[in-house]
Amino acid sequence: MSASMAAPGLLADRPANDILLDVRDLRTYFHVMDGTVRAVDGVSFSIRRGQTLGIVGESGCGKSVTALSIMRLLDIPPAEIASGEIIFEGRNLLKLSEDEMREVRGNDIAMIFQEPMTSLNPVFTIGDQIAEAVMLHQGLSRKEAWNKAIESLKAVGINNPERRVKQYPHEMSGGMRQRVMIAMALSCDPKLLIADEPTTALDVTIQAQILELIRMVQDETGAALMLITHDLGVVAETVHDIAVMYAGRIVEQGSVDEVLLSPKHPYTEGLIRSIPSRGMRGQRLNVIKGTVPNPFNMPEGCNFAPRCPYAFEPCWTLDPQIEEADPPDVACWLYTPAPGFLAPKRGAQRVAGELASGIRS
Amino acid sequence: MSKYIIRRLIQAIPVLFGITIVVYAILLAAPGGPTARFANNPKFTEADREKFKKAWGLDQPIPVQYCRWMGICNPENEGLAVFIGSTGWPAFLPTSISGTTNGLLHGDLGVSIDTGEAVASRIARAALPTFILAGNALVIWILVALLIGVYAAIHRYSLFDQAATVFAYVGYAMPTFWLGIMLIFLFSGPGLNILPAGGMTETRLSPPFGSDTYWPYFAANPATAIVDIVKHLILPVFTLVVVNIAGDSRFIRSSMLEALGQDYVRTAKAKGLPVRVVIFKHALRNALLPVVTNIGLEIPFLFTGAIVTETIFSWPGIGRMTIEATRSFDYPTLMGLLLITSALVVLANLIADITYAIVDPRIKY
Ligand SMILES: Nc1ncnc2c1ncn2[C@@H]1O[C@H](COP(=O)(O)OP(=O)(O)OP(=O)(O)O)[C@@H](O)[C@H]1O
Ligand code: SF4
Ligand SMILES: [Mg+2]
Repeated sequence: MSASMAAPGLLADRPANDILLDVRDLRTYFHVMDGTVRAVDGVSFSIRRGQTLGIVGESGCGKSVTALSIMRLLDIPPAEIASGEIIFEGRNLLKLSEDEMREVRGNDIAMIFQEPMTSLNPVFTIGDQIAEAVMLHQGLSRKEAWNKAIESLKAVGINNPERRVKQYPHEMSGGMRQRVMIAMALSCDPKLLIADEPTTALDVTIQAQILELIRMVQDETGAALMLITHDLGVVAETVHDIAVMYAGRIVEQGSVDEVLLSPKHPYTEGLIRSIPSRGMRGQRLNVIKGTVPNPFNMPEGCNFAPRCPYAFEPCWTLDPQIEEADPPDVACWLYTPAPGFLAPKRGAQRVAGELASGIRS
Repeated sequence: MSKYIIRRLIQAIPVLFGITIVVYAILLAAPGGPTARFANNPKFTEADREKFKKAWGLDQPIPVQYCRWMGICNPENEGLAVFIGSTGWPAFLPTSISGTTNGLLHGDLGVSIDTGEAVASRIARAALPTFILAGNALVIWILVALLIGVYAAIHRYSLFDQAATVFAYVGYAMPTFWLGIMLIFLFSGPGLNILPAGGMTETRLSPPFGSDTYWPYFAANPATAIVDIVKHLILPVFTLVVVNIAGDSRFIRSSMLEALGQDYVRTAKAKGLPVRVVIFKHALRNALLPVVTNIGLEIPFLFTGAIVTETIFSWPGIGRMTIEATRSFDYPTLMGLLLITSALVVLANLIADITYAIVDPRIKY
């Protein structure tokens, strides 16, 4: 399957004023014993109605914290949303009262989590757990909500939903539970669906089915999708746009085709290189050398500099910002001329098509 | 479910049978023996001792004694015929068939050496005060521990939480007998004489609880009688529950904190449920699972605790009777008491297991 075919591009050319979610300069910090972790440190992106955006990056780069900040599900303290705006349908979610925010959660924005085995409450039937949200947000009676629960189980391809709805989570497999989570998320017809690594905990074959399901329901309901993953293959098959995160920042963004076929940022390139491809089977995987920076001791210049094969003078002292990037959408001194330094070493650019072959296979 | 309950009940039978043997063995191993009550009586001769032993059947071999106590042997017969009741049917069968009336199996726990009264009716009379004490203690214990534990978990590190922690350490470390005496000193002493120091009823107003005249008195003035008992209950109940509340409030707090940190709680919040529902439906229900087992295992302490508490507060229950029977070497009474308390422990565990099976859908039965 080719990367361009995979992304459901039906809504890609909607007008830009149709923005559903606009995150601006979000900074989420954790105040812990050893100091402050800047888990999300100035993230901006937007999602149009019906758009599908993938967020990728290594473990710990702040993907989940971004999602949980949008949902306002972080415990404050230790978390603190130090600055930023999260504009959803014209309202800044960060300014809503807790009650107003509850109306948004589950109803306008629904979330699916990574761990299907623990995300459902073990002591209530799944019907109860789906119906509960429906009753709350749509004001349906118990009976109607129960029927709606059966309906949404059917919609996510669960056989015999009348029986399943009365079962407890422990009576189901991981894949089945993730279907239940999706059914639950969709039961209130959300405008935005946030899926945080929805397939990471599942078997490979089940992963494909769940992704297919997410793609299908996204297509049918027209809900916008924010898909968080560290698997570029998943992104390539499921979403249209992509944002690459590194150490609490977005370092590159664009359409899947652009970013995966011609990655600009050295980190994106490293990520693509680390995908095992068919031709490379049996060879050592190309993993980005070095480790994510210590959150208490971030590098002074570019966060990626200690691991970057292309790092040059400005990288050690100046911090590239994606907002000031020119050309836009990539935070790297290779592209944006660093103030006071000579033109960036464009010669260091890489042959991208070849790199992307990994995800195509 | 009912199948599970029946199975558990049937499983309890061999346990109870085992308990009778253990109770018997423990009392045999205890120093003294039924004649020790006369140890300081210079007029009690060796001949008297033999006579006493013969009268109480203590001259028989131990298995025979046990079988008579159980009601498997008929003391009227000799040799192998001991197993046969007066009707010719085996002695262990119900009285209506076998004609046998002695022994546990026929509801007879023997006669108190001390008072000459039937042990079963003695225990039955003392049981009600103990149930009143233990029942109130249980309800207050669970309610207060839940309130403290859940509130402390929701408001972790708050002033309340810290105060609860201090209370838990102090309460857990406090010896029951010392606490009881201090409470009497504080609330019934010369200073602040607001609560009775002991007993179950006010002697000047009411007949002794459980006596023949008590129930007519109770029927005539129910409100006064109940208020009277409640007043007498406050200090002993408090003494009895402090340790349990101290321990369980901590346990509930940590169990609740664990539940609150679970993924399904985050899911519940992500659905937009109000905090109240998230805490009291999703988290609490899960947090209570280990608590049910724990409380089930702690219920026996209500009975052991009652021994000290009832003695301090002269509460006319089975705890105080245990001490009295021990002091007077009243073996039949002691045996009956040990048996009943053991049976109650088995019952409490059974109830805890069944409750657990009801509240946790993952339990297979
Ligand atoms: N409750 C918390 N307290 C302190 N630090 C936290 C907390 N939650 C997250 N962090 C920190 O925030 C950073 C970002 O975490 P986040 O969970 O967003 O990573 P992620 O990109 O989702 O990674 P993964 O792929 O492993 O899910 C990490 O360094 C993490 O240690
Ligand atoms: S700014 Fe420098 S260190 Fe950072 S990614 Fe670009 S080249 Fe590498
Ligand atoms: Mg994550």
